Amino acid sequence: MKFSIVIYAAPYSSESAASALRFAQSALAQGHELYRLFFFGDGVHNASKLSVVAQDESNLQQQWHELIQEHNLDSVICVSSAIKRGIVDQSEADRYDLGVASAYSTSEIAGLGQLIDAAMHSDRLVNFG
Amino acid sequence: MSSLHTISRSPDSSLLDTCLTVINDGDALLFIEDGAYHATSQDLLATICSSIQVYALREDILARALLMKIHDRVECVDFQRFVELSCEHDKVISWF
Amino acid sequence: MSDTVANNSSNKKRITFISRAAPYGRDKAALCLDMALACAVFEQQVNYVFLEDGVYQLLKGQDATAINSKTLGNALETLELYGIDNICVDQKSLQQRGLSEADILAGIQLIDRESISELIKASDTVFNL
Repeated sequence: MKFSIVIYAAPYSSESAASALRFAQSALAQGHELYRLFFFGDGVHNASKLSVVAQDESNLQQQWHELIQEHNLDSVICVSSAIKRGIVDQSEADRYDLGVASAYSTSEIAGLGQLIDAAMHSDRLVNFG
Repeated sequence: MSSLHTISRSPDSSLLDTCLTVINDGDALLFIEDGAYHATSQDLLATICSSIQVYALREDILARALLMKIHDRVECVDFQRFVELSCEHDKVISWF
Repeated sequence: MSDTVANNSSNKKRITFISRAAPYGRDKAALCLDMALACAVFEQQVNYVFLEDGVYQLLKGQDATAINSKTLGNALETLELYGIDNICVDQKSLQQRGLSEADILAGIQLIDRESISELIKASDTVFNL
């Protein structure tokens, strides 16, 4: 089955982003297709590559990154949510002269149309917030 | 078309109450995250129509020390079953 | 309501947005609206339902300039302009908050919980925030 997952929650401030990650891992492990991950609102913080966590904590952003990379997933960060929260890729960083990209390059910054496209083309859309 | 409803906030949130006013026969409920505390709520669970299957995410139940307190109607499931339930129902509606 | 449910052409998805949050305090109401507006471009069959505290978004006379925010009531009027098929408000939520039809923006259909549950049942995807 073809799934898409929408993540509204920032990592760490609630359990939801971690739930979304585990759902994604489990769906992939069962052989389902992940059509798209869509990070929206505070959820865009999950794509930050600038996070550092204590040794006894797990780094959610890094885990998302590894999952996306391993399975070559289509992962989208909502542009309107992202840039105002300081989540930018290299091209946004260049455009606004910010000096450094904060988003993992495994996710693409794009518009909400990608979310609606996911709703149209997935068998199941699952929201975590 | 049936729905799997996930409830992810504690009973203080009234999310479940609202969900129950719009739920359809044959839908299912899954308590996740702080929603897990609903699984111990004896009075409330007794009022839920018998055509509604009620589940709670095992990981969240165990983390919160609720396993010995959960209501008979609640079946504990893991993430694999969560994904399966998402497939068995036509859509997933998240209450958060 | 049954007209709306029945009148569905084959390849359009039926997408329902349930907006349950009051405006301004959190960004949920604005996120929900943004998603629906993005959806309109794709010409899907869209339902937009105001439930619980979401009904506060419909109060007439909102002006969020003093809190440096965009006034949401104005944006809601654009829902219709964007061709959102079916905009409704839950009667019980209004009653519970001591509000009447006179307090809210014009052109919003009043519905009951049973109709909302029918809408949900007939939808392919539900965004609920």
